[in-house]
Amino acid sequence: MSMKKSWILYFIILTVFIGSCKKSGENTIPWTTIPYLITIPPHFPQKLNIPSDNPMTVEGVTLGRYLFYDGRLSGRTDPDSLMSCANCHVQANSFVCGINNPKYTNGHPFGITGIPTPHFMLPMINLIWTDHGYLWNGSISDENPAVQSRKLEDLVWMGIVAPHEMHGDTGRTKALIQSIKGYPELYKNAFGSDFVTIKNTGKAIAQFVRSLISANSKFDRFLQGEVQLTASERTGFVLFMTEQGGDCFHCHGGDGNPLFTTNLFYNNGKDSLFDDLRDRYHFTMSSSDIGAYKAPTLRNLVFTAPYMHDGRFKTLDEVIDFYSSGLVWSPSISPLMHHIATHGIQLLPQEKADLKAFLLTLTDSSFVANPAFARPSRMPDEN
Amino acid sequence: MKNRISTFSLMSQLFFALILSSCHKDYSPEIVVLKKGNLQVNMVHQVDGKALIFDSLTYTTSLGQHYMVNDLQYFLSDISLHELDGSWLEITDSAGIHYVDAETASSCQWLISQQIPAGTYDSIGFVFGLDKEANRSNRFPDPPERDMFWPDILGGGYHYMKMNMKWKKVGMPETMPFMFHIGIGQIYSGNTANPDSIIGFIQNYFSVKLPAVLRIDNNKSSSVEIAMNVDRWFDGQNAFDFSLYPMGIMQNQLGMYRACRNGMQAFSVQNAIPN
Ligand code: HEC
Ligand code: HEC
Repeated sequence: MSMKKSWILYFIILTVFIGSCKKSGENTIPWTTIPYLITIPPHFPQKLNIPSDNPMTVEGVTLGRYLFYDGRLSGRTDPDSLMSCANCHVQANSFVCGINNPKYTNGHPFGITGIPTPHFMLPMINLIWTDHGYLWNGSISDENPAVQSRKLEDLVWMGIVAPHEMHGDTGRTKALIQSIKGYPELYKNAFGSDFVTIKNTGKAIAQFVRSLISANSKFDRFLQGEVQLTASERTGFVLFMTEQGGDCFHCHGGDGNPLFTTNLFYNNGKDSLFDDLRDRYHFTMSSSDIGAYKAPTLRNLVFTAPYMHDGRFKTLDEVIDFYSSGLVWSPSISPLMHHIATHGIQLLPQEKADLKAFLLTLTDSSFVANPAFARPSRMPDEN
Repeated sequence: MKNRISTFSLMSQLFFALILSSCHKDYSPEIVVLKKGNLQVNMVHQVDGKALIFDSLTYTTSLGQHYMVNDLQYFLSDISLHELDGSWLEITDSAGIHYVDAETASSCQWLISQQIPAGTYDSIGFVFGLDKEANRSNRFPDPPERDMFWPDILGGGYHYMKMNMKWKKVGMPETMPFMFHIGIGQIYSGNTANPDSIIGFIQNYFSVKLPAVLRIDNNKSSSVEIAMNVDRWFDGQNAFDFSLYPMGIMQNQLGMYRACRNGMQAFSVQNAIPN
């Protein structure tokens, strides 16, 4: 069929289609969305954590990105009371607030009213593969008795009301977003209705968060055979991957698990006394989880200081010193911390430098500069 | 030439057709429908014949060392059913590979989707771990199997088994972690386990064949219960001494060898229940 003919045919079909719509009394073209395609990087898991009632769409991710960066999510318009996810989750720092954050000293964020968050931050990357619950203790999961606190989506209403975050109320947020020019249309594009709901707000932001994939580090290119590691990086890699070396891979992944986390929970030997009401134990009530936290991904560490759930280590050198000689025994220490007998892996200074050099090959600078994940140049009402 | 061959083949086909049709005239053969059933393999984990209790320092080896088990995860593969006449059937469901996490009930119950010819089988065989061909790096991108990966520099593929434990003996103030991890072993040219001095790898997987009177009935589901007797890993012909391996056994072939020699005796068939 010639180009011309096919165009005519297309036109006829379209007219018939529109005509039929009119007949049934509907004037509008049916609501459709464009699927947002996820490209799975080599060796990354095939199973994606996308709830069946919130498929990724281009429209959903677009709306989610505006909301993620819009301080009016707090339900207020006063400049002092604006707060969005991006206040704390800063792209330049792989979505933690960062140790040099001008507002949050030492990288410990606090909410609108000054109440500090109970924990320090987790890097918000590659969460489309999180399979054992969100947060340091994994409590946002299907095992949570509260049905409204199980999904990534749910962290949005939780953030709006949490005293240590936006300290707002969802009704006010809903009404404010509804009143902002441009948003109702974006909700309509994404969800088929211009009525702003907290449910759809959570869905859109969750879609944007799931789109934050970081998989372009030197180490990824090494695995693809595109670059070589330096001698020091390679020595560090061997230390990382061997039981008699540093033995980091059992909890943090490696060449067989490029997420660089198992997303599981361990007590990695920091303390002998435990008083945090938000550790893994207080969620599972299993005594082997006392003092256990999610092993975070080791990607983009260069941006994510300070380290650990309580931010106790300001630098990677401090973390490496800890694993080298600072381990503390407790009854619930993970059985994978077998170097506890010698208080650590006992690295020589050169080995510490090598391990650090390897960890820094997990840096993805293109991710923190990716314009698709950045604050939109204009908010919907500024367009 | 070409023509002649095709004429010939046409002729021969006609000839066969004639023979076949003449057969049909003389006999009306009975159509034999293969009778098939299903099999479910249930794994149970025991110490001294009783169900394994996790996270509790209640067990003692023959050397008097106390231990607890915190995690127990492993692969079984190449499962096969053997008949009295020596013939056998290989299970190809999920490439014949099954991952077990002893604390996850669903993984301990493997309903094999493959239909199995009805009959009586006299033993069940499997490979503990993954054989050389099956043990390819990156074949499982998804958890939980993914988290069994064995570093490429140490031979690659997957841990056959991860038994995470703690142990204690007289004179030790506290329990100490022990990683009873088994997979591909390494031979080092030097006397330290430096990966740069690896000169060869050893496949430590082993085959197990357990006698079991196993009946598969037509259109019915049978089950067989296989026990891993965890104590056997330590109390077999090579009494296992945790204190010999302060650095674990992943990079200690002698340790893994001793463990596997014991492990060969660790499995038994508990029950084979038709229907
Ligand atoms: C006041 C600072 C702050 C704000 C605002 C904030 N977060 Fe967070 N976020 C944190 C901290 C701190 C953690 C780690 C908390 C923990 O696990 O105890 C966290 C954790 C998370 C996690 C879990 C990451 C993981 O790996 O499990 C997600 C997802 C998340 N936030 C999304 C959001 C979204 C979406 C918003 C906006 C609705 C938001 N956050 C607003 C500070 C903040
Ligand atoms: C037993 C499991 C386990 C092992 C082995 C282990 N880690 Fe960790 N790692 C953890 C856990 C759990 C945390 C978080 C603990 C917390 O926040 O309290 C963590 C945190 C970290 C952090 C901080 C990350 C952040 O964003 O705050 C770094 C860096 C790190 N580990 C590196 C290593 C290195 C290097 C090794 C090997 C020498 C190693 N780990 C071995 C479990 C482990």
